[in-house]
Amino acid sequence: MKNRRLRVPWKWLRRAVQLAFLFVFLWLFRQTESDGTGILHPAANLLFRLDPLVGASAILAGKELIALVWPTLITIALTLVLGRFFCGWVCPLGTLLDVAHRPLPKRDTPPDPRWRIVKFFLLGVVLVSAGFGMQLIGYVNPFSILVRGLAVAVDPWLNRSVTAPFTWLYKNAPESVTNVTEPVYEFLKAGVLPFQQNAFVWAGLSFAILAAVFALELVERRFWCRNLCPSGALMGLMARFALLRRLPTRVCGHCKAVADCDEFCRMGAFDEQERLIPESCNLCLDCVSGCPSGVARFGFRKTKAAPAPLEPSRRLFLASLATGVALPAVARVARDGSRLPDDLIRPPGARGEREFLDLCVRCAECMKVCPTNALQPALFESGVEGAFSPRLMAELGYCEYNCTLCGQVCPTSAIRRLPVAEKQKFIMGKAVFDKDLCIPFAKGESCITCEEHCPLPEKAILFREAEAVVKKTGQRAIVKQPFTVLSLCIGCGICETKCPLPGKRGVRVVREETVPPDVKKEYEELEKTNPRPAGGPAAERAAGY
Amino acid sequence: MNEKHAAGQSSRPIFNRRQFINRVAAWSAGALAAPPVFQLVPQAKAAPTQPLLAVAKGADYEAILTKVLEPLGGLAPFVKKGAKVVVKPNIGWDRTPEQAANTHPLLVKAMIKHCLDAGASKVMVFDRTANDCRLTYVTSGIRKIVESINDPRVSCTFVDDRKFVPVKIAKGKAVTEWDFYKDALDADCYINIPVAKHHCLAGLTLGLKNIFGVVGGKRGELHQSLGQKIADLNTVRPSTLTVIDATRILLRNGPSGGKLDDVKELHTLIASADTVAADAYATTLFDMKPDAVESTRCAAAMGLGEMGLNKVKIVKV
Repeated sequence: MKNRRLRVPWKWLRRAVQLAFLFVFLWLFRQTESDGTGILHPAANLLFRLDPLVGASAILAGKELIALVWPTLITIALTLVLGRFFCGWVCPLGTLLDVAHRPLPKRDTPPDPRWRIVKFFLLGVVLVSAGFGMQLIGYVNPFSILVRGLAVAVDPWLNRSVTAPFTWLYKNAPESVTNVTEPVYEFLKAGVLPFQQNAFVWAGLSFAILAAVFALELVERRFWCRNLCPSGALMGLMARFALLRRLPTRVCGHCKAVADCDEFCRMGAFDEQERLIPESCNLCLDCVSGCPSGVARFGFRKTKAAPAPLEPSRRLFLASLATGVALPAVARVARDGSRLPDDLIRPPGARGEREFLDLCVRCAECMKVCPTNALQPALFESGVEGAFSPRLMAELGYCEYNCTLCGQVCPTSAIRRLPVAEKQKFIMGKAVFDKDLCIPFAKGESCITCEEHCPLPEKAILFREAEAVVKKTGQRAIVKQPFTVLSLCIGCGICETKCPLPGKRGVRVVREETVPPDVKKEYEELEKTNPRPAGGPAAERAAGY
Repeated sequence: MNEKHAAGQSSRPIFNRRQFINRVAAWSAGALAAPPVFQLVPQAKAAPTQPLLAVAKGADYEAILTKVLEPLGGLAPFVKKGAKVVVKPNIGWDRTPEQAANTHPLLVKAMIKHCLDAGASKVMVFDRTANDCRLTYVTSGIRKIVESINDPRVSCTFVDDRKFVPVKIAKGKAVTEWDFYKDALDADCYINIPVAKHHCLAGLTLGLKNIFGVVGGKRGELHQSLGQKIADLNTVRPSTLTVIDATRILLRNGPSGGKLDDVKELHTLIASADTVAADAYATTLFDMKPDAVESTRCAAAMGLGEMGLNKVKIVKV
């Protein structure tokens, strides 16, 4: 700062740093995937753990100190020194918005600048309702919106679009062509594209929210960051106390340039009296680079001229307080928590439903990392506040017995990071057979695909040999009809996933408390009359080999 | 001598079972004779179609593979110079080697080495897994051990869904069309190295059942009339050579297992060009009769091999 005549190319420096962080973000995003070792890159969820709003809302809603979010202390400390630098230099969404802004048409009539107080309202609502037990962050947190949109929509769509032409060529083109395209395909598969083609329910919804953030760039540059982002609002409030500040704290007024700083500021960080708004400035340094007289700079020195006063008014504060209190109350009325759909299965290690929804920040990292694509975003199955929380949909995928990746990636320990042995005992649900569909019951043919895949050392699926009518022939035959050992079943869902029936499966995983009492009783009876095949083949009884 | 036999053949296989059996029988007959003498033995004079099966026992799995292949003439009769070879172990489950749900990695490694020594131009190792393949390839120990060979001719890759092609099964009784993996169909030599284990529905899963690892589609749909369907699928891609891994076998709770109490260490390998005979013999290790396994019965009935062990020449080494 002292050598102002040296003219550091701040703008280019900032862009380089932005791109570097974007690259790191995308690289970590790609690392959020199983490599078969069962161990995830420890920084895969770092973005969420850096965000003070994620930490604050999870701690407020969960009413416990979450050790995992400690990196946010770094963000807070740096923000107290540098101001809202994160938004201008680090945030991948901000960088993407900057990139997206370039080709977009520019508007002559900017919206009312007072839009900028909306972010404080949203911040208040999120924090207050978190305190009253309703986690709304999934709707407004920039990183939740970004990562979820990328993970459940953009990434799978991109993968499909990129691989489809290669697949078509592979199947139809002559070898002279595929000799060229296949190495490219291999390269993309190895380093750029996700390992597998995932698909997510309601992907379009998460995409629409992300797309809306980008669409707002049409209204105004960084509209989201200026006016709506509650994470930015929280960091902005800290920035008021930051040591580093743009100097002078007002538009200097004797500018020889075509436009004053306040006119080209991407964050609109000057109020109507041309005073600096510390909550808005994201230190992009455009004003420093663009200042023709070398007046604009950033420094640690205090000045007499005060910046703009704190913007959120008492009225706004009260409004957000009232909304934050009212929303959880209304949601409680609308939803009877004791009656969840029977197939709303939570990931392994997930806390109890209430606590789980309080801590989950809807980042979709668990859905991204799930190797079988089993974890899917919920809609309103557990209320308005349950939207985008992960659920295991066993007809689509199952929980790998030895896998703990969702617990490893969860940034707030809504899904606890359990050791493998403990996770293998975690009960997600219970498998229940549907005799109207299950093949040995309904068609009188053998199957037992479910038992074949049951990962438990003591199989949680046993069968009884029963006479049944073979539907195809009308004859009677002895078939193995399965049932669940409810005391052992953990509800991993592999039986449901692998069931060969198209559409609705012959076995379903349901929440433990929803297993009908008569089914429970029946299975217990069956267990008594059909003991586990203890000796199996007589091999062990035979004297030696 | 490989070239001599290959000369009259179409592109694959290298030579058919009968030719092979004749030659192996000739080899056995002339065990004391020097190799030049063996070359002079005309095929027609060799014993009729008695399949040969070798069994070896020992704690050093790489050594017993060499031993068990010896009576069959090593790998040379199966793997031509420059041949593209598929070595098909079981990598289906996210289980460790001692849990006996997958083929032992040491056997995979030793088999690959034999293929390379025999002059294979390419050795491919893969399996269409039941659990997530990234997990099974690591937990089974197979990927790591294959990579440790560090030879550009060897690959251990995940199954690529694009490579499944529909195949009409002309001889099929219970299944007449199914998707097969192209690499397995195109291979000059298909070496089947399954682990021997209990299977809840099939009774046991051995050499014939291992074909499931190279077929696509929803394999649960094959579970109705499973034994016949296994035999049908084997008509499309018969194994050039089957070596059954009974170094440790899974007695119960198969095919996925997971409990060490269910595992019995036998330190045994069974090798034969006749998969049916190999399965029939392996069944006896479980103290069961060969006909207890439906797929063996069905395959024998279709003429895919010999399940009567009294008609099989068994060489224990």
